[in-house]
Amino acid sequence: MSFFYHVGKYFLLLNRVFARPEKHSVYYKETLKEIQKQGIDSMGIVAIVSVFMGAVITIQTAYNIENPLLPTYLIGLGARDSIILEFSSTIVALILAGKIGSNIASEIGTMRVTEQIDALEIMGVNSASYLILPKIVASVIFAPFLTLLSMIVGITGGWLAGIAAGVVTTENYIYGIQYAFVPYYITYSVIKIVVFVFLITTISAFYGYYTSGGSLEVGKSSTKAVVRSSIFILLFNVILTQLLLS
Amino acid sequence: MIEVRNVCKSFNEVMVLKDINVLFEQGKTNLIIGQSGSGKTVLLKSIVGLHDVERGEIIFDDIVFNKLNFKDKKEMRKQIGMLFQGGALFDSSTVEENVMYPLDMFTNLSFTDKQDRVNECLKRVNIINTNKLYPAEISGGMQKRVAIARAIALNPKYLFCDEPNSGLDPQTAILIDKLIEEITEEYNMTTIINTHDMNSVMEMGEKVIFIYKGEKWWEGTKNGIFDTENKELNNFIFASKLSQKIRDLKNRT
Ligand SMILES: Nc1ncnc2c1ncn2[C@@H]1O[C@H](COP(=O)(O)OP(=O)(O)O)[C@@H](O)[C@H]1O
Ligand SMILES: [Mg+2]
Repeated sequence: MSFFYHVGKYFLLLNRVFARPEKHSVYYKETLKEIQKQGIDSMGIVAIVSVFMGAVITIQTAYNIENPLLPTYLIGLGARDSIILEFSSTIVALILAGKIGSNIASEIGTMRVTEQIDALEIMGVNSASYLILPKIVASVIFAPFLTLLSMIVGITGGWLAGIAAGVVTTENYIYGIQYAFVPYYITYSVIKIVVFVFLITTISAFYGYYTSGGSLEVGKSSTKAVVRSSIFILLFNVILTQLLLS
Repeated sequence: MIEVRNVCKSFNEVMVLKDINVLFEQGKTNLIIGQSGSGKTVLLKSIVGLHDVERGEIIFDDIVFNKLNFKDKKEMRKQIGMLFQGGALFDSSTVEENVMYPLDMFTNLSFTDKQDRVNECLKRVNIINTNKLYPAEISGGMQKRVAIARAIALNPKYLFCDEPNSGLDPQTAILIDKLIEEITEEYNMTTIINTHDMNSVMEMGEKVIFIYKGEKWWEGTKNGIFDTENKELNNFIFASKLSQKIRDLKNRT
């Protein structure tokens, strides 16, 4: 029962978020700020995670196909497909859920408990739209770049690890990552990440917006935001994979 | 003038406001006093429409505010300024950006005009040379004054203050009270102030209502308040040792 109550409340909030903006110039400025905060400031962590992820995937792939009959370029091919299909979207989204999810929930939650949201409302500003829409727009615009970054860095990491571990040569790895390449996989990955960051921003904003109490509750909202966003990412990962790849 | 008629409000089946009727006058400082938890904030937020009331009417100069549709309500909001208990300044914006915010949102003034208006408002509350600082970098009293500047930026007709001097030292508190009183007179606003501070009552209680457990228990002025026979109000006024001493001294003479 409570689940449906929350889902209903979530959609009512979204309905307010997507109302017509009061003043485009103000929203535009806010969106740029959010692109900086959520997108550009996340590039570092995404790159670090991706390089190690690529390295591990490559070494594991090499380990799994340790058979003299199988050509070593399959290592590059296997690593590429794992990274593009799954890791650069789902793992990156889970990382972002931790980073921007908690950030959004605590920012909006703090604004709620310190009455900053009331201050916006009293001025006649649609606080839901003003606070949340720029975050959604910014993350949806920027997320595809983060995924592409993750793919490039991940594949590079795999190459470095493959060379360092001596399981594949540069020529074979490069041949492998070009072999039987399906461009649609990238589209698939981009679609996934866009849906995931939409879930992260809206779910986190929802928990922040309906915080009540004090700083303790802000912390709780922030934790809930990360946990629930992660669960919905995993759930939608299954749904989207079924829809897009079958 | 703001009229509150038969207003009731409850949270989760608990009645917090019980059939409140009051008339708040224009150009005056109207005070709502009462203990913590008596319902002052809920009453103030109900008047400005941050809470929907279950019953009753809230009338702003002949307009039944709580019955307006969403769009008209929004239009009315531009004539309302509010000072929140903690100041509620946007902490990711500078002092200047905070005061400019309503101007950005609701006017088409050029940047220099907006800046002039901001400086005018900040000067009015005696804040200078802090335009580029963030709320966390200025004192509590200054934050309150900046919040007042933001509240008056659009020249509101109605001003609401929720415990404007809570958390401030007595001297700063009096300064804030004075400022609100002066501004009210200057702009001929209808001002409603929540407080539990007797100093504020003495300073600006042109009209005072006492809320007790969600009911209007007493209504009058700062002059009448000490002569009341009302037991709960007496307990509230003479809660402190200092005020009891003053009463006893006065009774002796
Ligand atoms: N949003 C809310 N939900 C539930 N109860 C509330 C809410 N806001 C206030 N209350 C209750 O209403 C009563 C009056 O609170 P309030 O108006 O804040 O008192 P004060 O006079 O100190 O400002 C309190 O008992 C408080 O617990
Ligand atoms: Mg209060």
